[in-house]
Amino acid sequence: MAMIEVQHLTKRYRDRVAIDDLTFSVEEGEILGFLGPNGAGKSTTMKILTGFLPPSEGVARVGGFDVFTHPLEVKRRIGYLPEAPPLYPDMTVHGYLKFVAALKRLPARELKGEVERVAGLTGVTHVLGRLIQNLSKGYKQRVGIAQALLGSPQVLILDEPTEGLDPAQRAEVRALIKSLAGKHTVILSTHILPEVTMTCEKVLILNQGRIVAYDDLRKLAGSQGTSESASLEEVFIKLTAA
Amino acid sequence: MRIALAIARKELSLFFTTPWAYGVFTAMVALSSFFFVNLLATFQQVQEQAREVTWAMMPPDMTAYRNLTDGVMVQLWGMVIIITLFIAPFLSMRLFAEEKRNKTFELLMTAPVRPIEIVLGKYLGGLGIISATLGLTLIFPLVLSAFGHADSGTALEWPTVLLGYGGILLWGATCMAVGMFISALTESQMLAAFLTFAVLLPWMLLSGVAQATEEPLRSVLTYLSFDAQLQNMLKGILDVQTLVFFASVIVFSLLLTHRTVEARRWA
Repeated sequence: MAMIEVQHLTKRYRDRVAIDDLTFSVEEGEILGFLGPNGAGKSTTMKILTGFLPPSEGVARVGGFDVFTHPLEVKRRIGYLPEAPPLYPDMTVHGYLKFVAALKRLPARELKGEVERVAGLTGVTHVLGRLIQNLSKGYKQRVGIAQALLGSPQVLILDEPTEGLDPAQRAEVRALIKSLAGKHTVILSTHILPEVTMTCEKVLILNQGRIVAYDDLRKLAGSQGTSESASLEEVFIKLTAA
Repeated sequence: MRIALAIARKELSLFFTTPWAYGVFTAMVALSSFFFVNLLATFQQVQEQAREVTWAMMPPDMTAYRNLTDGVMVQLWGMVIIITLFIAPFLSMRLFAEEKRNKTFELLMTAPVRPIEIVLGKYLGGLGIISATLGLTLIFPLVLSAFGHADSGTALEWPTVLLGYGGILLWGATCMAVGMFISALTESQMLAAFLTFAVLLPWMLLSGVAQATEEPLRSVLTYLSFDAQLQNMLKGILDVQTLVFFASVIVFSLLLTHRTVEARRWA
């Protein structure tokens, strides 16, 4: 059974359709890349999967549980990094991670070890004692990722995880995400195309709320009528030009 | 419950790391000290006058000044209630509005946490904040009992003073509950503070409006008025009706907040 299953998912805001009839699934241990121009519906889809927004129509299941009817079961399985990392500027990194760990219902005796583990993974160990508001954008982003990793959730949903990072940090985060494959099921959105080629096995391209391509990265170029050697960038521009 | 406590602890620790807390504390202490000193001066004046002409000769409305409890503390608590009316909206406004503006509301709503745990945690945090602020005013009865004298031996009637203080805490708890609900409705902290004040003030003054109306409306309005409900408690009379009234307002506000947070999942 697929870890994430989405069927005919639609989200309408009063007069605007944000996402329109999305159907896709992600197998356990897979990394799916969400691509699309700004406003294509990537964040909306992620917000529905994490239970922050209800769908207007359709069903989303995580680990077999309906997101809307069993929100707690689903939320327990997901680590989520929203577009803007949800940080409290007046907290220290350590205090913040401990708070999120408590929200995720980690047992009190595991808190300390778990905070140290994710801090090590994301390279924020040496800033644990600092106030979040004094961190650089890159470090804030890393703390956001660290927070998502707390408790080793089965599913990670990362909305533009490399946003605001410098090239070296980007490479680190990409390597981190790649290392998570197999143990975690990951959906990651980005508008940096090479990132997808480097980290994901499967790609889903959204444009104006609709799926315009959904395939294995290797097959994508061929299936879209472009030459086999076409780069992802060419495919992306062709598909989202409409 | 563990989650609610974690949220409450976070609220408190954030509150005490911001300069905002100390600003509010200063305002509370400065304003209540001002009234305390004035009340003491009046008390002293009346006492001296009474010593010259004896109490029997004094106008009847001066009898409250015969002891420190009625002459100073009961009236001071009355002032603290009004100060709380002005200060509490600035304490409750952050509770939800800031999370929404900060985008951290998304963190709470996507964590495996029930809306009721969020609401209770926030409210417990709010109670801690208002109690800390109001706790500062306990210095006044302590000063009076340390330096005051009375013929009966103790300077203050502690049961009356403490019951009045209980009334103040109850009032603070009510302000925070109403303020938290309003804070859950908006992203703007200033708007939340302003609306909270705009709801609490007329509600407080309802007893004044009641005077101008006929029965049975008059009794209804008086019952619903914060001011009228608090008066007895300040004077040292414990009335179950008062407790029921404030508990209902608090529980109702918490329910509305819960509905508002829960509704987020549907829209």
